[in-house]
This record gives sequence, C-alpha cells and structure tokens, in this order.
Amino acid sequence: MTTPARPAWRRAAGAVLPWLPVLLLLGTARAWWARLPDRVATHWSGFGRPDGFGSATVLLTATLAVAAVGALAATVAAYRARPATAAAWLVPAGGMLAGGATGLWLTTATATLAGGTAAEARLGWRFLWLLAGLSWGSVVLVVAGRDPAGPGAEAPAPGPGLTLAPGERAGYTTTLHSRLLIGVTAGATVLIAVAAMTATPALWPVLAVPIVAGLALGEVRLTVDRRGVRLVAGLIGLPLKRIPLAAIVSATAAEIDPMAWGGWGYRVKPGRSALILRAGPGLVLHLADGRRFAVTLDDPETPAALLNALRARITDRPA
Amino acid sequence: MLFRVDPAAPVPLADQIAAQVRGGVVRGELTPGERLPPARELAGVLEVNLHTVLRAYARLRDEGLIELRRGRGAVVRGDADANRLRVVELARAFVGEARRLGLAEPEMLAMIKEVKP
Repeated sequence: MTTPARPAWRRAAGAVLPWLPVLLLLGTARAWWARLPDRVATHWSGFGRPDGFGSATVLLTATLAVAAVGALAATVAAYRARPATAAAWLVPAGGMLAGGATGLWLTTATATLAGGTAAEARLGWRFLWLLAGLSWGSVVLVVAGRDPAGPGAEAPAPGPGLTLAPGERAGYTTTLHSRLLIGVTAGATVLIAVAAMTATPALWPVLAVPIVAGLALGEVRLTVDRRGVRLVAGLIGLPLKRIPLAAIVSATAAEIDPMAWGGWGYRVKPGRSALILRAGPGLVLHLADGRRFAVTLDDPETPAALLNALRARITDRPA
Repeated sequence: MLFRVDPAAPVPLADQIAAQVRGGVVRGELTPGERLPPARELAGVLEVNLHTVLRAYARLRDEGLIELRRGRGAVVRGDADANRLRVVELARAFVGEARRLGLAEPEMLAMIKEVKP
C-alpha cells in the first residue's frame, strides 16, 4: 500500500477555484456600482425592513478583502501547506471564506438594488446567496479532492520489541493530561457563563459543551495489555475507545503533527482516527482493517514495543 | 509506565509489583503527584488478585513512597525522593545478599560501620 500523491490537476483546482467568487464579486461590483446607492442595507432581523445600514464602499472593500484573503490562503495552502494533508482542509476553508464573503456582497447588494434605496431593501430569498457562497467550500473540497492518505499510511514493520518470558504478564498504563484542553474548556466555560448571565440566558445549555469536553478529554488513561488498547476518560471513568489486540497489526512510535491528523482533540477522519492532546511523540496503531489510530503520549516507544511483543505472542502461538 | 510480573519467578507477585513502582520512581517515569493505575485496573491488566495489588500499594505507602486516598487512589508522594529510594534499594539488595550468606544483623551493621570513610 503506497500513498497516492494528490494529482496535479486537483492541486491546481484547489488553487484556482477559490478565486472564482472573487472574480464574481469584482464583476458584479463593476456592473452594479453606478446604480448602487451610497448607503446600503447590511443587516436584517427577519424578512422585513432592514435594521442595519452601512456605506457601499465599506461593504465592497470589506467583502472583497475577506474574499481575496480566503482565496489567497487557499492558493498558498494548495502548494505550500506542509504536511500536504493540511491542504485538505485549508483549501476548502479558503474557498468557503471567499465564497461566503462574495455571498454576503451579493445578498446585500441585490437587496438594496431591488429596493431602490437602503430603507426599502428586503432580504427575501436573497440570503440564499450567502448560503450558496459558503457552500462553495464544499465544491472546492469535492473537486480539489479529499486528503488521499496521511503520511505513513503503509503499516511499517514493527520496531524493536520487548522480550517477554513465556508466562510473564505485562501491561502499560499512563495518564494523559492536556493543559491546553483544560485551559481552553475552562476559558470557554467562563465566557459562556458570563454571556449567559449578562446578555443571553439561552446560552445556559451551551455551557454543557466545554464542561463535557473537559471532563472527557482533560485527563485520559491509556492502558495497553494482553487485551489490547483502552482509553478511558480519567475524570469520569467513561470508556472512550477499545481496540482489541487481535485488531492491531503493529504499533509504532511517531512524531504527531496535529495538522496532519485533523487538529486537536478526538479526531475522526477517513481511514484514521486519533486522540491528539498536543504536538509531539505519539503512539500509532496500524489496524487489521487498514485504519490507523494515533494517540499522543510522552513515551510511545514502551507501549509500542509492548504491543508488538504481545501481538507476536498471539500470532506465534500455533493455531 | 510499564508493569511486568512473572508468576514463575520466586519473588511474590506483590513484591514484584511494588518493585516496579519503586523502579518507576527511581528512573523518573513516575513523578510526584502522579496517579498510579487504580488497583482494580492494574489487577485486571496483570491478571492478579485485587488484594495482591492492594498489598503492594499498602507496602509502598508504608515506605512513604505513595499516598492512598479514598476516591483519589494511589498518588506518588510529593516528597518521594528518587535518590533516597535508590540508596534504600541498594540497602535492600545488601540485606538480601547478606541474609543469603547467613550473616546476622549485628554483622551487617558492623560491615556498614566498617565501610564508613
């Protein structure tokens, strides 16, 4: 199994497609500018009269700037993003930003044009321009292609093992802490609580999100033994993941780049999943179904060697 | 950290487990404040009786290496001193070897006094 390179035309598509909304924005601005009043409606709280207004020049400049930044980011990411897997989401994200900004321009500009003056502008169905613009990101994603495969998709030969005596029992346990995650969730909890108290009581239920995330991933216990690999949320004892030993082909220690695995936290991507609490050393499991699972921890060589030794024990045993 | 026990070895399983934790502290794999795996979990991992693990943890507590707290489990003590522990381990080896040779306690103490610079 080898890693297919992203085809050149897909890469080019990822670099070019995010610029189409920018061209559309420039073209429509040129065509409509003479008819567009100086003051345009920029905000609606429903389908009735607008409740926010702004200068047409500011609207055009702002949306054009955002769209251009999004498109530029996508182009740079398509050719420069390291690792290449980061391009898989940076490129569509750039497309979405460019499309969204253009959609915002189209929505507000057409509403004001149709009404004649800013005060008469009606939103109507025009908000669909914005949705269409945002969904440009998905078009880019489909055409530019998903991430074909991460680095090291092929299962490597097991590294140096660990010698176990025939009747010896061995297990590895460690606790993973994520200061980043605890900090972020604590910060989010405070922010949401303050917002809920002062302005928006509807936010109270949202408070559960960072609290649950912090409880689930703030402290995780990893256990490796003859049964396989287990991850348990340490603070609440909730089992997060179980991988039976028989499903593991080999285990390796590797440097984990969160960008290559889809970010921080519990990540699931096609063909692989991971618990990423930081950048740095991690344990990568190559599974029998071709998938991979990674988890960041300080001393991945030890559990990797143990897993390979335990694995050798069950495969070497005569059937 | 890695735990390994061998039921075929002459050393009792609880002693083997306690030795693994001491080794972990000496090597710096276990740092003060770190939590040891819950006794029930470690018993499952090593396929030993829960009371075997509890006996090992109780001994480590008596040695001043860990604290056992209800609800928090076994935690490596803040004053767990890897250097002192290393010396204790050497003393343990010395006493074991001396016993094997049939030396009595006064003779061992005399030997220690002899090597004093």
